Amino acid sequence: MSVSRPEELRESPQGSRAFSLGSLIRRRPELVTLAILIVICIAVAVANPAFLQPSTLIDIGRASVVMGLFALGVFVILAAGGIDVSFTAIAALTMYSTTLLVQNYAPELPILLVILAATLGGVVLGVINGLLVNILRVPSLIVTIGTQYLFRGALLSFIGTVWIMSIPTQMGAFGRMPLLQFETANRAVITLPVYFLVLPVAALLTWWILNHTLMGRAIFAVGGNADVAQRLGYSLRTVHLFVFGYAGALAGLAGIIHVSANRLANPFDLVGTEINVIAAVVLGGARITGGTGSVIGTILGVLLIVVVNSVLVLVGIPSTWQRLVVGSFILLAAAFFVMRGRRA
Amino acid sequence: MQAPENAGGASRFLVMRNIHKRFGGVHALRGVDLSLELGEAYHLLGENGCGKSTVIKIMSGAHAPDEGEIVLDGKSYSSLTPIQALSAGIETVYQDLSLLPNLTVAENVALSEQLVSSKGRLARMLNGARLRETAAKALDMVGLPSDRAFLATVVSDLPLAQRQLVAIARAVATRAKLVIMDEPTTSLTRREVDNLISVVARLRSENVAVLFVTHKLDECYRIGGNAVVFRDGECVAQGPLEGFTKRQLSELMTGHAIDSERYRTGRPGTEELFSTSDLGAGSAFRGITLSIRKGEVLGITGLADSGRNELALAIAGVAPARTGTLRIDGTDTAIHTPADAIHAGIGYVPEDRLAEGLFLDKSILDNEIALVVRQLSNSAGVLDKTAGARLAGKLAEDMRLNTRDLDLPVGSLSGGNQQRVLIGRSLGNAPKLLVLHGPTVGVDVGSKDTIYRAIQKLADGGMGLLIISDDLPELLQNCDRILVMNGGRLVAEFNAETADEDALYQAMLTPTARISDERIAS
Repeated sequence: MSVSRPEELRESPQGSRAFSLGSLIRRRPELVTLAILIVICIAVAVANPAFLQPSTLIDIGRASVVMGLFALGVFVILAAGGIDVSFTAIAALTMYSTTLLVQNYAPELPILLVILAATLGGVVLGVINGLLVNILRVPSLIVTIGTQYLFRGALLSFIGTVWIMSIPTQMGAFGRMPLLQFETANRAVITLPVYFLVLPVAALLTWWILNHTLMGRAIFAVGGNADVAQRLGYSLRTVHLFVFGYAGALAGLAGIIHVSANRLANPFDLVGTEINVIAAVVLGGARITGGTGSVIGTILGVLLIVVVNSVLVLVGIPSTWQRLVVGSFILLAAAFFVMRGRRA
Repeated sequence: MQAPENAGGASRFLVMRNIHKRFGGVHALRGVDLSLELGEAYHLLGENGCGKSTVIKIMSGAHAPDEGEIVLDGKSYSSLTPIQALSAGIETVYQDLSLLPNLTVAENVALSEQLVSSKGRLARMLNGARLRETAAKALDMVGLPSDRAFLATVVSDLPLAQRQLVAIARAVATRAKLVIMDEPTTSLTRREVDNLISVVARLRSENVAVLFVTHKLDECYRIGGNAVVFRDGECVAQGPLEGFTKRQLSELMTGHAIDSERYRTGRPGTEELFSTSDLGAGSAFRGITLSIRKGEVLGITGLADSGRNELALAIAGVAPARTGTLRIDGTDTAIHTPADAIHAGIGYVPEDRLAEGLFLDKSILDNEIALVVRQLSNSAGVLDKTAGARLAGKLAEDMRLNTRDLDLPVGSLSGGNQQRVLIGRSLGNAPKLLVLHGPTVGVDVGSKDTIYRAIQKLADGGMGLLIISDDLPELLQNCDRILVMNGGRLVAEFNAETADEDALYQAMLTPTARISDERIAS
């Protein structure tokens, strides 16, 4: 892509600018996310010290897992310059069909294999997205809007619409298996479940792939400028298949954790939360136009949204305000990044 | 040990024989013969549209020739793929640099090397130490810093000149045998050009061939090597630069005999139409004071980094000036947006008609009336289609478009006809001043003639015209006066009837302090 002339004009006086807060924030926009998160936590803790109780923190941790897995997948696709809105449909389809299969055909299947099956199901559906994006050369937004309807339609028309209230025992056990357990002052037992570990592990894996493999660099190369990347010999097809397959895998994983944690497989669940997840990723500093962002920023974005969702009640703000607050954050953050970018 | 048969032809790296290439009806290359040897520097010279860029695209595998033979490293090909060209060591530094703006310097320079050694497979660990080492070596070679902080800088944070060197470093990092540089010096300051010259010397000492595509004759002589002159799709001369004078080279490039006819026969009016006073925009240009009379054709030229492009964009409101004033028809006019310019009666025909000018998949009719839909609409905002068709038909006829079917998409027309549509559109609004930015870039000879005749007819009708171009014969043939920009300022004024290309070249190339240099000094 040619460098536009007005841009040259803006850049020429830059030269060798010394270190400044502005350039730091431009390079590491997740610092802004972190700052907002800290400010909110302090404000809420002052208004209502109950916030700092282990039970609240564990709630936040638990609530972050499914959204965090989704967000990591979205971030990888955004980094490659694409976007995905079908991941919730992938999660819903894989979680419901896996649960159904296990219940009816393999009730004794070890939990690890159940998780693996759901993850592989997600890979298959994600690869379908990747192939369509690559073959049709249509923006991935359009493709994944299409496949979202397709996957969800397939689930509701061919697989089932009935809630599965009694999920297979090994899944229920997995959802309850404790990593940490507390007893609070009023004798309630608070559990941080083992599945919480899946999120940091997935985050580390994603970080490693993005920063320490050729694939990771190829993803950012394609997100920076797909035409140039192709000219330099990066295979768009490989990158497309990988990012959508990887996001599919994370969606499948998130789906099965969702079922295990809620002890309920509801085929109407999850779909509809895409925008929330994309918002978290963007709040974490990834540009919607691709090629930027970080894993830590994505996780911070998820925490920010989860915290806002769960603490407003603690400080006496009606939960219906949640959307107003998240919306304002997104607009503020966007305005902030744009203004910084213009001044630079 | 030296094998005797290697003595003569072994250093001949790339030979092209009788290469032909046609694009639709345009015969872009007509039997080109060319031979490049390792360790040599070549300067591919020629006017716009002479086939230079087609030749380098054939070398790098982006285009396949219709006829002819390419001998690369002793092997014969009828055409090359990009992979064949790259693995044979042909690296191209395109004008757009092809950098990945969001990646670091080290990654831009050295990732390709790991990609090539993995044969394009991506399921590989990134070797960070090797990445930095390869990058540092290549950066040293082009004279950029190679410390860790610079390696980790994101390319979009670099000034343009450094980006250019990063692109060259990438070409160097992959054991290139032939580095093609497409107008590498247009955005470099003098010091950076000096540096580039030493880079070229280093490359040649390592037996790498370098092919420049350039307009700047002075720099060719400073770099040294061979001239390869193209005109109208043919290689008209090839040989050591010392064998040619500058005048001979420009004569070979332009083929004077054909081009010396002057289109301008009319005389400008006396009344001032448009003037600027002390116009400036940052470090791009400064202190621009000029005036255009009714019926006058004014030309502005200069090198690509002289500020001429930015001045054109400022007058058109695309990238507005920051200081100074504009007067049109005796009233001070502020121009902040393209809409301001159109409202003030300034028509603008952009340089890049594909990216900035035309709606390629819309019809000729839709393109022609795009500027005047409001005038063609009634009070309810409904477009009067008959009036639109009438206007578009008239404009098409004025511009002597070679089709009567106004429903054809503009993208299906030849470059020359597209340019006529674009000029016709800016006339629909009946502008007082028409700014033509590179009006015949990539346009065939026949269309050039039509466009020049149209320009003269408009001037005779009292319109003021401003042509910003690096095509010197075009300016000499069409203008009353020519202003030369250099280093962001107007440095000379010529009477187009008496000036010649040499004098213009001199004014364009004479070193001046750039605005940015002054600022550093003060």
